[in-house]
Amino acid sequence: MIKKLRNLKLTPALILRLLVGLVVLIYLGWRIYQTAFGEGVYGPDTWMRFLITGLVVGGMYALIAIGYTLVYGILFMINFAHGEVMMLGTFAGYFVLEAFSAIPAPSAADPSLSFLNAYPVIALVLTFIAGAGTSALVGFLLEKIAYRPLRGAPRLVPLISAIGASIFLQNAAQLLFGPQRRQYANPDILWRGTGWMIPVGGKEVMLTYTGVFSFVLSILLMVGLFIMVKKTKLGKSMRAVAENKQAAALMGIDVDSVISKTFIISGILAGSAGVMWGIHNGLFNHYVGFLPGIKAFTAAVLGGIGNIPGAMMGGMLLGLFESLGPALLGLDFQLKDVIAFTILILVLIFKPSGLLGEALSEEKV
Amino acid sequence: MKTALKKGLSSGVIFGIVFVFLLLIGFINVGSGMIGDLLGNTKGLSNQDTLSVNNLLAVLAILGFFTGFIARRGQDESKWWVSFLGGLTAGLVSGSLAWLGIWLTGTLSVQGVDLQTYLPNMDPDDLNYLRFYSTPFAAANTYMIYFTVFSLAGSAVNWLLSIKAWFAKCVAGCKRGVSSWKKSSDIKGLFDNPWVMLVLFLVTAVVLYYLPLAWGSYWNYIMGTVAIYVLLGLGLNIIVGYSGQLVLGYVAFFAVGAYTFALLTAPEPHGIGLSLWLAAGASIVTSTLTGLLLGLPILNLRGDYLAIVTLGFGEIIRILIRSDLLTRITNGPKGVTNVGQPVWRGEVFSDVNYMHLLMLLVLVALFIAKRLKDSRTGRAWVAIREDETVAQATGVNTYRSKILALLLGAAFAGLAGAMFASRNQFTGPEDFTMMVSINVLCIVIVGGMGSLPGIVLGAFVLKGLPELLRELEDYRLLVFGALLVVMMIVRPEGLWPAGRVKFKKPSAAKIQEAATEVEP
Repeated sequence: MIKKLRNLKLTPALILRLLVGLVVLIYLGWRIYQTAFGEGVYGPDTWMRFLITGLVVGGMYALIAIGYTLVYGILFMINFAHGEVMMLGTFAGYFVLEAFSAIPAPSAADPSLSFLNAYPVIALVLTFIAGAGTSALVGFLLEKIAYRPLRGAPRLVPLISAIGASIFLQNAAQLLFGPQRRQYANPDILWRGTGWMIPVGGKEVMLTYTGVFSFVLSILLMVGLFIMVKKTKLGKSMRAVAENKQAAALMGIDVDSVISKTFIISGILAGSAGVMWGIHNGLFNHYVGFLPGIKAFTAAVLGGIGNIPGAMMGGMLLGLFESLGPALLGLDFQLKDVIAFTILILVLIFKPSGLLGEALSEEKV
Repeated sequence: MKTALKKGLSSGVIFGIVFVFLLLIGFINVGSGMIGDLLGNTKGLSNQDTLSVNNLLAVLAILGFFTGFIARRGQDESKWWVSFLGGLTAGLVSGSLAWLGIWLTGTLSVQGVDLQTYLPNMDPDDLNYLRFYSTPFAAANTYMIYFTVFSLAGSAVNWLLSIKAWFAKCVAGCKRGVSSWKKSSDIKGLFDNPWVMLVLFLVTAVVLYYLPLAWGSYWNYIMGTVAIYVLLGLGLNIIVGYSGQLVLGYVAFFAVGAYTFALLTAPEPHGIGLSLWLAAGASIVTSTLTGLLLGLPILNLRGDYLAIVTLGFGEIIRILIRSDLLTRITNGPKGVTNVGQPVWRGEVFSDVNYMHLLMLLVLVALFIAKRLKDSRTGRAWVAIREDETVAQATGVNTYRSKILALLLGAAFAGLAGAMFASRNQFTGPEDFTMMVSINVLCIVIVGGMGSLPGIVLGAFVLKGLPELLRELEDYRLLVFGALLVVMMIVRPEGLWPAGRVKFKKPSAAKIQEAATEVEP
């Protein structure tokens, strides 16, 4: 450690980084001190509310971030269109829910009952299947059409293709479904704005059903993915391809099919996150994938890109930073996107390998 | 035989899906309207009743023709009946998909279902036109027939082209002609003559001077936008095209330039009222400083990380400009109005003067970019773009070169921002969304990375054409996105790729000369 420090050369870039770090630390310390010992605008109930929001949103970020990490781990490219993959999943879920709420399933007690409220569990399962399936299909086609022909091309080429695909998908959705905001039709048992009331510091904080539902589901999906990657044959071949494509091919792994399956799995996770987004937040339009996509990428970088537990942790952390950050720093809530981007820049300046990522080898970097 | 059927099937499926997609986004109507404009048999889109059904049939014929033509791609050797079968398959498959699309939408709309709740472009009147004002079943059959017949025609034409020896001869002849024209030393020598170049230069200057006077203000507006985007493209070209750093937040420098100019010259909110030429200089300085601020800590990042960080930076700048935090400085979401305009001999600039100024700036910028490209720094950039490690090993200070590229690019953007704010007399945060960065990037890439004529061409194609084809306004971004993907697959080097400086082998006499010079 000391030896390392002694060998450190003070280049202008390093000095600049240290200066930036110092400024950031002083600023953070000052703002947090002010919030903690200042006027005390927020009571414990408010903090609790921020915490809940952060965890729920963080779960969705984590699901999307896993998609970035999986693809990056294998192809070393940023799948810029991943947010749009999620957006199409949100649309698919919306249409399925609309259809279920239009199908009548009258019972003796209530003749105007719809299928959605008569069998909410079945309806929700089918909605998630539709959303995840659509996103998986979009991811699969995206790889096949926009990325596969470019394998082996210089690095910028697939990235630009991904940007193009992202613009295309976003505008296709706008032209097909219109630019207006739409509202998810949740079943009555999972209605937005209803939930358990939990007492915190003398006041009651609502723990919404949709929030709990999304959080639990995202944790379940992450656990499932983790088991899949660690235990199944597909997971093993995915890890092998990520390690070394040529060696994996020599061992009899069909690299192309593994890459396709990776995109399908990323799509499933992103589509589920998209449906959750709709169920939890209600309103959405064709821009719904853009910011979550970029933030999930931030989360993936924060955790160490290419690293699955890193993406999960990064997603959760980013969700928390975003909801607690403005209050902690005493900033406006309209600046919460700035916080996410600032975190991204700071992580990349100081620890490009992320919190859990190993230092990438020269070839990968 | 098998490949022909397979290709026919895949081409049919692709074109069938493309047709249904175009139908659902309402493009078939717009397309028939445009063909109507072209052929002169309609008064315009607003007047559906006068829009002749023939235009629609023409669209179908074109689509069907391509279905068949592409189905026979890459099968030069096949017999006529194989190509016939391929075309038939393609036509039938795409026709059935089109049949389904038309029949479904038509039946639903006839039964009074409001499709527009979910698919806003499915206007009942438009659908009626798409059905030729008849029943869904009959209309769908017409689509089927058209697709099949024209797909057959397409494959037949492709077949004819592939067997006809005269065609091959003609192509070969053309190629030979072009290459001999290129090689002919007379023409090349002509361009080396300084007097010829002078005359050409003078003619160009005169034309450029009189064009804005002749065009009228509408064209001046469009071409002014194109010129501003040429400036932006030239700047980003230094960063992306020369030095290979993918910067997605280029709009940040544009915004800083525009806001610096606006805040220094507008009466609200500060009322500084600085001289305009000084303010333009200040814009360049501030955006360069922004570039320095951003570039110093992050420029040693790798390509795609750099892309995302700069994208984030662009968004941060926009959010900050419109936030309450800086509203006292930047006027928040309202933007700055009454931005100062240049004055020449006591008169405020007219659109013609602006156009002249912009043309002058573009020419100067082109000159600077050209000189930079051929300089030592420019060669260092190219080396970094090709392989950073090797460039470093050969003694290029990569960090400094990359910073320099970013600063120069930012300076161009600052100037373009000042011009933009001054010409519009207004600047607001919504002028600087991420799409501006993407547009400029598209110009650089579609035109050809590192190629100066490519940038100008790209700006004309991507900014000029959509302004002229107003009907396509809604579809512009869709086409952009598809174009980027297709470009990367088919022609990653761009429309007008940058030529490489070739190593000229010195003649034997010259080598001899050099040798004798060294000897004593």
